[in-house]
Amino acid sequence: MALPEATQSELRALGKADILIGIPSYNNAETIGHVVKAIRLGHAKYYPEKRTVVINSDGGSTDGTREVALAAFQEEVFDVSLVQRPKRPVEGIVTTYRGVPGKGSAFKAVFEAAKILDAEACAVFDSDLRSMTPEWVHLLLAPVLEKGYGYVCPFYRRHKYDGTITNSIAYPLTRALYGRRVRQPIGGDFGFSGELISHYLEKDVWNTDVARFGIDIWMTTTAMVEGFKICQSFLGAKIHDAKDPGADLGPMFEQVVGTIFSLMGSYESKWREVKGSRPTAIFGFEVEVAPSPLQVDRGRMVEKFKQGVDQLGSFYRQILSVDCMAKLLEVREMVEEGAFDFPKLLWAKIVYNYAARFQKTKNRRKLLSSLLPLYFGFVASYVRETEAYDDRKAEEVIEHLCEVFEEAKPYLLQRWT
Amino acid sequence: MKEKKRILAIDDEEDIRFILKEELTDEGYEVSTLGDPTRALEVIREFKPDLILLDIKMPQMSGMELLGKIRDAYYDLPVILLTAYDSFKYNLHAMASDQYVVKSGNLAELKEKIIKTLNVVA
Repeated sequence: MALPEATQSELRALGKADILIGIPSYNNAETIGHVVKAIRLGHAKYYPEKRTVVINSDGGSTDGTREVALAAFQEEVFDVSLVQRPKRPVEGIVTTYRGVPGKGSAFKAVFEAAKILDAEACAVFDSDLRSMTPEWVHLLLAPVLEKGYGYVCPFYRRHKYDGTITNSIAYPLTRALYGRRVRQPIGGDFGFSGELISHYLEKDVWNTDVARFGIDIWMTTTAMVEGFKICQSFLGAKIHDAKDPGADLGPMFEQVVGTIFSLMGSYESKWREVKGSRPTAIFGFEVEVAPSPLQVDRGRMVEKFKQGVDQLGSFYRQILSVDCMAKLLEVREMVEEGAFDFPKLLWAKIVYNYAARFQKTKNRRKLLSSLLPLYFGFVASYVRETEAYDDRKAEEVIEHLCEVFEEAKPYLLQRWT
Repeated sequence: MKEKKRILAIDDEEDIRFILKEELTDEGYEVSTLGDPTRALEVIREFKPDLILLDIKMPQMSGMELLGKIRDAYYDLPVILLTAYDSFKYNLHAMASDQYVVKSGNLAELKEKIIKTLNVVA
């Protein structure tokens, strides 16, 4: 169990809850207070009659995160927010999970809590959220409680350079594989039915990359493939501790992509016949939002791409088809000419080559880390293409990328066998 | 004989309904049209379309509102938004449609998207 014994006992003593809300955390002292207070207000506004437990599932923070969360459960929030104090406020628990360090283990603890409490619905929120409002509680729980959905994904308006792993691979690949358009498959904030949580807990994944950064994509894929009704809810802007894609996202990239590739092996019979994609229902009230600008170091990404191709060229020849390799070398040449463009079809084919190779290779870490320079190259090209675009126009580029992935699926089938 | 795919076209403008019925019947579809969006769910139950063409600006009910109701009742029923306005394309609720087509005199794009949508296997 990811929950310590003492927390399990504490939860059993509570009996049953209608709603369980989880906040995984690790060194988020600056922001977790806001998230806890938003949840308390959301409960008071929308579910004051529902017995609601909120659990902070922490990974052993050293910056006072758990203490901040505890204080935020007690802080006066209702009068100043013009929200009626609920007769039955949320019950807050702060705990440190056990298991492989990572978000997946934090989620497992949350799911175990939901199971102990026999919660009808559950939601999770990232602890680094600065833009969370009380409405998010309703938006992720109402589709479950009122409309029978099993899984609720977030829909955000994000800065065009925020979420590059999502934009360049997680969304287009998941969409092409499983035929469902879930715009933020690794969004971080989700709603679940109790039934789906029980389903997750039965799976034997908690010692793999799923337990680290792979948890979000694993949850989304599993819900899609195993027939749970999925929708998306508009949450507005996601303002969080966003990262420069060129600087910080290596480990997350490897774990997310590794999880997607692993799941392709497990769910081959589910994605082979899929052609095209379908939308989901979308809930929420749209407002104009202006996400915080995000500076990206494009030059650094291009440099990483160049070095990658120069140093790993012979390794790439073992993985990529002849035509892909030839095209990749052309793109590498273009860097020197200052007209750098990484075609979307080339990127899709590279991803498909890698997905196929992943199934057969023993050294998956090495394989995934070799994909990184190519990812940087593609993202650098996307940044150049969308430099003058606003966020909406940049979204058209992502939509086009998704269509390319869908249309190139026969190529995946060819490489797979 | 291959069963014809059924298309339900919902648009408050009679001229549009007429053109769609004529042109898409010529393409080999079985086409029904509806001018009153408030009756849509009832007609869907009876006609059992394989695909819906849905206008957005209608006086009795907005196409976006109807799209939400259709998605709720029929999770996977394909819907193509067919509208005179490009401006709704990135409207949040438009994302619940399969495709978005701006009306023009030439139905080539619409016909192509109908084929693409009906060929989805998901």
